[in-house]
Amino acid sequence: MVKAVAAFLTAIERELGADAIEPSVEAVERYGDTTMPSGGRRVDAVLLPRSVTDVVTTVRLANEYQVGLYPVSAGHNLGLGTRSPVRDGQIVIDLGRRMNRILELNEELGYAVVEPGVTFQALHDELVRRGDKFMISATSGPPLGSVLGNALDKGAGYSPYFDHFGTLCGFEAVLGNGSTIRTGDGSLDNDTLPNWPVSKYTIGPILDGLFAQSNCGIIVRAAIWLMPRPPVIRTFHATFERDTDISAIIDAIRPLKLTNFVPTLFRVANDLYAIGPEERAENLGRRPGAREITAEERRLLREKHGLGAWQASAAFYAGSEGDIAPMLARVSSHFLNKGAVRIIDHAQAQLIPSLLIASDAFSGRPSTAELRLLSWRPGGGAIWFLPGTPMSGRTAAELDVLARGLFAQHGFDYIIMHVAGGRFARSLYLILFDRRSAEECRRADACYRALTSAYATRGIGVGRAAIDYHGLHMDLQMPAFQQAVLAVKRALDPNGVIAPGKYGIG
Amino acid sequence: MTTAENGPSAARDEVLAIAASCNRFGLCISACPTYVLTQQENESPRGRIELVRRMFEKGGRPDAETVAHIDSCLSCLACTTTCGVPVDYMHLIDRARAHVEANYQRPIGERVVRALVAALVPRPPLFGFTLRAARPLKRFARWMPRRLKPLLDLVPAQDPSPSEPLTPGTYAAEGSRKARVMLVPGCAQQVLAPSINAATMRLLRRAGCEVVVPKGFRCCGSLTLHMGRDRQAQQSARALVAILRATEATEAIDAIVINASGCGSTVKDYEHLLGDSPAYVVGGRRVGQLAVDVTEFLARIGLPATAPNRALTVAYHDACSLRNRQRVTTQPRQLLEATGFAVRNIPESHLCCGSAGTYNMLQPAAARLLGERKAAHIALTDTAVVAVGNIGCITQLGRYCERPVIHTVELLDWATGGPKPASIAHIDPSPVSAPKIEQSPSQEAIW
Repeated sequence: MVKAVAAFLTAIERELGADAIEPSVEAVERYGDTTMPSGGRRVDAVLLPRSVTDVVTTVRLANEYQVGLYPVSAGHNLGLGTRSPVRDGQIVIDLGRRMNRILELNEELGYAVVEPGVTFQALHDELVRRGDKFMISATSGPPLGSVLGNALDKGAGYSPYFDHFGTLCGFEAVLGNGSTIRTGDGSLDNDTLPNWPVSKYTIGPILDGLFAQSNCGIIVRAAIWLMPRPPVIRTFHATFERDTDISAIIDAIRPLKLTNFVPTLFRVANDLYAIGPEERAENLGRRPGAREITAEERRLLREKHGLGAWQASAAFYAGSEGDIAPMLARVSSHFLNKGAVRIIDHAQAQLIPSLLIASDAFSGRPSTAELRLLSWRPGGGAIWFLPGTPMSGRTAAELDVLARGLFAQHGFDYIIMHVAGGRFARSLYLILFDRRSAEECRRADACYRALTSAYATRGIGVGRAAIDYHGLHMDLQMPAFQQAVLAVKRALDPNGVIAPGKYGIG
Repeated sequence: MTTAENGPSAARDEVLAIAASCNRFGLCISACPTYVLTQQENESPRGRIELVRRMFEKGGRPDAETVAHIDSCLSCLACTTTCGVPVDYMHLIDRARAHVEANYQRPIGERVVRALVAALVPRPPLFGFTLRAARPLKRFARWMPRRLKPLLDLVPAQDPSPSEPLTPGTYAAEGSRKARVMLVPGCAQQVLAPSINAATMRLLRRAGCEVVVPKGFRCCGSLTLHMGRDRQAQQSARALVAILRATEATEAIDAIVINASGCGSTVKDYEHLLGDSPAYVVGGRRVGQLAVDVTEFLARIGLPATAPNRALTVAYHDACSLRNRQRVTTQPRQLLEATGFAVRNIPESHLCCGSAGTYNMLQPAAARLLGERKAAHIALTDTAVVAVGNIGCITQLGRYCERPVIHTVELLDWATGGPKPASIAHIDPSPVSAPKIEQSPSQEAIW
């Protein structure tokens, strides 16, 4: 295999030039770095294509020399694997380094056609430069994350355009077998394709889904739809006092979202999720060897920051303050009737860093502020566990008790935010640990596996997974589904050169 | 800060602790101008942290490659604004520069240039004399040694507009006294743009401040600190501490007002810089606590009444030292807007303009790329003038930007009754374009 890699790299250098290969040993090493309990992976090389043609050549040569490629877009998938391959010994294709152009920005129809390396920050900056007429759907993740990479990993935001995969339209993909296809209305055999970026449903099967969380090909461009920026955006925040209030919160949000009375999703953050970016566990004057923080320490933090055990945040969009005022009044009284102890308005929230994060998110402004949460505990270990709950207060409360118990059992702080719509809420659990400690790594791994098992027993899977657990989650899928996925993989990537093992496929 | 009192081990311990705090998330890398320019890991903060860690662990003479990567860092600290920890990169890179300076023998050309910069710039009379003497040599620049050419390029083609010199003394507030402040005039600024200090003085007095201009002040130490000459920087810091003590012997002051944000970043950190000097650490802390950027201070005490018809559309450039180190971003914008200017942000505002203290003298190639890049972004804004809070940025942008670049206080002074700045004498105030109205910016949307 080592010989194959060396021969492959020689061929790459011959066909694409020496600058298509990352020269720095330190840089290549860093591509294998992760926040996972298992540590990093060995990366054999990093390739830097500059065009679709380069990608096609790379895939052709990978088939010829039988080497595994691992495409990354911007490589900021923190807590899920960063930019590391799933397995040792793969060759990373860094699409972000040189394929990072906004190919088209259409302000009449509201879309951008982007290459994989276009980041949330870059797209946002370009929109601002053009007059701030449209906004991106910002995430909690790094502003330097890839718009395409996030969407293809089923990432989401908080605005009405929160479903990032759903707002993609029309891919160009280089399949594992080396051929290049266009999807959606781009699949017409023609050079002029006016509907490619605006219509997904052309004749025939919809192939777009084959490229989400999979390894059948490499997406090299796609359109993403953009929302016109509202003239006025006003957030509101309802805080709740008790952990058990999650049931009332979920039941309170459901009608607001089923009717779309509130246009954004709701961020329902527990105390540590909201406060964590502003605090550090080690600064609490804790006893040596202490594990998760105590109820009293949580209470003191809530008091210090003026927040509750839960805070539900969302936003209204409108043409004027006057349009929003009656809606704010209605929603405030709705939450107060459901047990909220305090309503924090937009102006007040600007002075509370924890809520300012929500304000940025609903306003489509990328921010790194929420990522400070990753340093709540020292040591840089982080795993996102991303199941979900139906928008039923009873179920959400049961799952909350379950997860809270498992976090405590494994000695980790309970950090959770639900991102809630009308029927479903994605639950973002964060396991933070010290990756310098083998014992903590073992506990973090055990905690993740226990959560996965407990949720799976109740028929609940995850929306995305960290690379340590791709195989674990695929194994929980029904056998016929696994076989179907594998059959598709073999059909489109017969030699298995694209990201072998990603999401447990191949 | 110094390695003299506590020895190299104190510096080493601090550096290794800072390096260990890095979680290697990599959120810093794309905020780093040199990474953006080169896309090289070792030209990013994460890469440099690792190199610096290895350099201190190994000890002794650093290798040339590591020195090159440390030298190429702008110390803009954009990385610290996106860091998840946050890592104390500022002290790490300052320590690294001092280690290089103490342990590495640079080629003779570099040594000469660095010695010239460190000797001339912090001494205003000598610096002024040198600039005048060097001006005729600009026409012979092509025959100059390669390393001296960037210095000659930076010599202004003509003397700055005449301005009242800032002479030491105590100047009374106009009207009732709201505060007593000490104004730190900046070393290079006194020579390159004395109008900034004159405008600051007028503005502060008009705002109700009694202003003390200290006698014997030369330099705050910022320039030399960023060249790794920490002892020289500490000497400057100790001098300012002594000046403050003398000034406060008669009456306490409320603030040390600084109008060159590069200086402000260093002065605010005197406690660390003088951390190993027991006799000065308390004084250093006092100076650091009193130090404020002029816009921070004016936002605190309020502006004098605004004169009418000063409306211009202004592109506001965030100096890295204000944005990333001091986190002063809203006050200058709010003050400009409060005095009738329409403020526009510059795309890619997080990226340094390439000035970075002595960077454009010592790393001219990267500085030029960044300067041109920033100027191109400024050109995209529909603005008449560029406002900025740091003399380094003013000099740098002035080389690449077609529209006038001016200090924020000069606009504020003009808007509150001061003279119109000479550099914008040819621009007529006009009604500000695009007032804030609540309507959709997109014709395709209805709200």
